[in-house]
Amino acid sequence: MIEVKQISKKFGRKKILDGVSFTANKGEITCLIGINGVGKTTTLKAIMGLTPYSGDILIDNEKLTKHTYEKITFIPDAAIMLPQMTIKQAMEFMNDFYTVWNQDRADQMLEFFKLKLETRISELSKGNVAKVNLLMGLALDVDYILMDEPFSGIDMFSREQIADVFTSHLIEDRGVLITTHEISDIEHLIDKVVILDNGKVLKEFHTEDMRENEGKNVIDVMREVYRA
Amino acid sequence: MNRYLKLVNFELNRFRKIYVTLILLTLLSQIAAVLLLTKGYLNDAYETIKLENLTEKSYVLEYGGFDFTHITGSLLFLGPIALSAGALIFYIFLIWYRDWFGKNTFAYRLLMLPTSRVFVYLSKATAIFLMVLGLVAIQLMILPLENTIYEWMIPKTFLNYSMTIDSIINSNPLLRIIIPGTFSGFLINYGIGLMIMFILFAIILFERSYRIKGIIMGILYAAAVTAVFVTPLMAMGFEVIYLYPGELFGVLLILSILITGLTLWVSRWLIIKKITV
Repeated sequence: MIEVKQISKKFGRKKILDGVSFTANKGEITCLIGINGVGKTTTLKAIMGLTPYSGDILIDNEKLTKHTYEKITFIPDAAIMLPQMTIKQAMEFMNDFYTVWNQDRADQMLEFFKLKLETRISELSKGNVAKVNLLMGLALDVDYILMDEPFSGIDMFSREQIADVFTSHLIEDRGVLITTHEISDIEHLIDKVVILDNGKVLKEFHTEDMRENEGKNVIDVMREVYRA
Repeated sequence: MNRYLKLVNFELNRFRKIYVTLILLTLLSQIAAVLLLTKGYLNDAYETIKLENLTEKSYVLEYGGFDFTHITGSLLFLGPIALSAGALIFYIFLIWYRDWFGKNTFAYRLLMLPTSRVFVYLSKATAIFLMVLGLVAIQLMILPLENTIYEWMIPKTFLNYSMTIDSIINSNPLLRIIIPGTFSGFLINYGIGLMIMFILFAIILFERSYRIKGIIMGILYAAAVTAVFVTPLMAMGFEVIYLYPGELFGVLLILSILITGLTLWVSRWLIIKKITV
């Protein structure tokens, strides 16, 4: 389980995160929702140790160390491999550094996304960058996957293809923590929602409970929260 | 350790094209210096001999002969050395900033590798140090070749004296810095070089951690450690203290070890705890 406990973060005088706490479980898809600038990406970066913060973050009851990077991965919304690398070279790089790199799964994803090994990262469209990022993240045999806006700025067909990943064996029983604006694409797949606003958690709920107890879906709750 | 070596190899490969260009430029420019300048000197000499109706020997007595120092002092010879030094100093900054400001933010990947971030830091330092040593080694290898070509082109009568590689290096202040004649000289020059590189790395890491505030913090840190390092020299300059050369060397050695150690510790703290992507 990823436990975020009372984390705070300031940029200059502006408080981006102000005592944010929530959990994301293995085997569930947890969605971090909020309008632009509420600190969704900052929260993911804090979990990955890519920005300093105050508070505590535990991954399976342990603080982040170098070993944790074989347990959790982060898929940002832009290309992070070197532009001059081909997809093949990027995969070799991952294979070189991660003991949890799963080549079979990487090959399956290449085929699934119809990507070519010899294509350079710099030549990829925005949609294909998102697919390569997913490939690099999901081909790792990690327990938790953090995804930042995987549907941002990409065409409908690529969105559908990426959404298909969530129902495939590629996710299996891993824990996924995702931020997205395109909630409608994966609303039916989400297990848990954490709504952020002004650096605080406004609401945290399981979608099934919400549907059963209050008859509301995620978008209904979002409307309620942001109109209030 | 294995991942550290892989990272060093990765960093070296990333600079490969520019590095090979620098090597080729040095080789071509210095050999061009030998060929063109030697030919130029000889043409001038023969023209003077013809005009003044001199013999080769009387020309040498009147105007002096040639030696390899004429080549090593030229722009064509020293230019590529200065250019390579400049490129490597620039690369100290580029090796970090391209991971943040390049077309893709590779810093994400580097800092999420399942290896100590200290290895990321040390791999960049090692890559630069190996590249410096590589260029120096190449300079050492091509010097005898250039000297042989030079002595082959110059008729014996015009040659003042045949220079050894040692005497060529000692005749030029820049060559003396990059290729010191003694092991202790090597340790001093490259030890100071390493210390400066680590201080520059610390300034970069301060900036990457605290942005604009970090630039000020980095500059203050660099100013503070520089002040500590030059204090014994200043104290001697103002005759506050007097140290024998051996004592001064010992004091500076201890200070440089302390400063490098502190800088490594500060950099480790920044890259593990404070850096932001």
